[in-house]
Amino acid sequence: MIWLLDDTWIVITGALCAVACALPGCFMVLRKMSMMGDAISHAVLPGLAIGYLVAESRDALPMLLGAALVGVLTALFTQWVGQFGNVDRGAAMGIVFTTLFALGLVLIERAADHENIDLDPSCVLYGALEMAPLDLMTLGAWEIPRAALWLAVVLLLNLLIILLLYKEFNLSSFDPSLASTLGINATFMHYLLMSMVAVTTVASFEAVGSIIVIAMLIVPGATAYLLTQRLWVMLLLSALFGILASALGHVVAITVPTWFGFDSTSSSGMMATIAGLLFLLVWLFNPREGVWVPRRVNKTES
Amino acid sequence: MRFFFLSLLLSMSSLSLFAADQPYKAVATVGMVADIVRAVAGEHAEVENLIGEGIDPHLYKPTRNDVVALQKADIIFYNGLMLEGKMGDVLVRVARRGKPVYAVTELLLEQGGYVMSDEEDHHDPHVWMDVQGWMKAVAVVRDALVEFDAEHAADYKQNAESYLKRLTDLDAYAKKVMATIPEGQRVLVTAHDAFGYLGRAYGLEVKGIQGLSTESEAGLKDIENLVRFLVKNKIPSVFVETSVSDKNVRALVEGAKAQGHPLKIGGELFSDAMGEAGSYEGTYIGMIDHNVTTIALALGGEAPKTGFQGKLSGETHGH
Repeated sequence: MIWLLDDTWIVITGALCAVACALPGCFMVLRKMSMMGDAISHAVLPGLAIGYLVAESRDALPMLLGAALVGVLTALFTQWVGQFGNVDRGAAMGIVFTTLFALGLVLIERAADHENIDLDPSCVLYGALEMAPLDLMTLGAWEIPRAALWLAVVLLLNLLIILLLYKEFNLSSFDPSLASTLGINATFMHYLLMSMVAVTTVASFEAVGSIIVIAMLIVPGATAYLLTQRLWVMLLLSALFGILASALGHVVAITVPTWFGFDSTSSSGMMATIAGLLFLLVWLFNPREGVWVPRRVNKTES
Repeated sequence: MRFFFLSLLLSMSSLSLFAADQPYKAVATVGMVADIVRAVAGEHAEVENLIGEGIDPHLYKPTRNDVVALQKADIIFYNGLMLEGKMGDVLVRVARRGKPVYAVTELLLEQGGYVMSDEEDHHDPHVWMDVQGWMKAVAVVRDALVEFDAEHAADYKQNAESYLKRLTDLDAYAKKVMATIPEGQRVLVTAHDAFGYLGRAYGLEVKGIQGLSTESEAGLKDIENLVRFLVKNKIPSVFVETSVSDKNVRALVEGAKAQGHPLKIGGELFSDAMGEAGSYEGTYIGMIDHNVTTIALALGGEAPKTGFQGKLSGETHGH
């Protein structure tokens, strides 16, 4: 294996994306809304189409704005459907994102038929992590990938919001009723979180593609949750798992296939796979609840 | 991996043979463009082709090795006009940073008069389907290489000349066999709209089930309309593509059968990717030879089964 500067950038960009997603992802895991990222990845389709129809061009910015807007709307609608439709959050997400996705298909069909344009999200919205080192920006004396810079900004924003409202997030995630009695507006916290997830998701889709984003919103947080019930430890651990999955994922992607005579495989795909494997390892061997670890006394049968 | 060995082999042989005149590295996205660069650059460049056989360039996701190849490239060629999706955007930014990057069909668009566009300013990227169009692309590559490496300008001009001669013969063959298709049956129905240039050049009406993009889903009504059209005009065959799912085309066949019209799948065409590297169909000439021969035979025309150079194997090796 030859390690190049490009590899360093791919790992750094992947890790930035992983941490930016893992932090809000922890709260999604706690609120049993982990599939939000996946839902948003489908729901952005009408946003792209509307962005295109309004701006009448295939520039990335209007479509990105449209996608982010629809991302936030997905969160809003999910909340409403769940609240007023008397269905659980999983079903509410399912209803909202399939409806939005279908609307997007209809709009795109129109664009494709009548204006002969190509508007697939995989073509106009989803970037590729591996492309990051080709797309450099000059920042002072440094040349850094645009995607890395972009994700660093998203990460900092997420970190800032979480640090500023740490107490509120903590209480409203673990004990919403106590949070309400203490005067914390749980609904506001919920919408804030959902908006964070929507913006993070769409921004990361544009920078590094969809699979790694969806995985990193869920898996590192879920892995960390197996090990702790303290919020700050969970946030920290999820960030660590995200970074570990990125570094290991890229190394595996560029080495293991060559042992069998194949070309390097997709780094973002392998990062997501490694994140899943880390979850499996922690699930099997973690000292608290691990499957293959002697149980503590409090698990006695009744 | 095959490319890796190939380029290793190439670099080894060229190292020993041209030690004094080390070849530069040229990278091309799709095989059709790589083929031109190989033919025109000849011994002066080591050419790497990123998007291989059977792969849809609209949806191609580069791997780390592709990115390394692009970083190390001295000169980059791609088709352009959104054929390579997001990758095209990134290549534009690579070009802004000073590396010589050429979007072959976009340069054709600048010359004006050839590229098919609609009133909304959307352009059809599948220029290689018309051999005369691709001959213009050869000229674009030749000029790019002359600009990049003026020292060997004479070689590039000579190589381009002989490649263009072969393409002229190919074009004449295509014209000849397409003209043998009976008048009422000159209709080409395929999975997506990749054959507009072929239709314009060789006098076929072209209908794609999907639009230009390979991912927009074909509506039921579109399928129904097409079936009605095929039955009414007694078109004998429709075609599948190596790099696009054949699901919708099979729906057409089923639909026509239900109405008592024995519609056949006329064969597999190469649209956005060439055949297996190393085979005849894995070259631009072989790809077009395969396409026009298959189309002519399936629509009731006459053509030698082995194509214009007697090299066709009759297999597509597609997916």
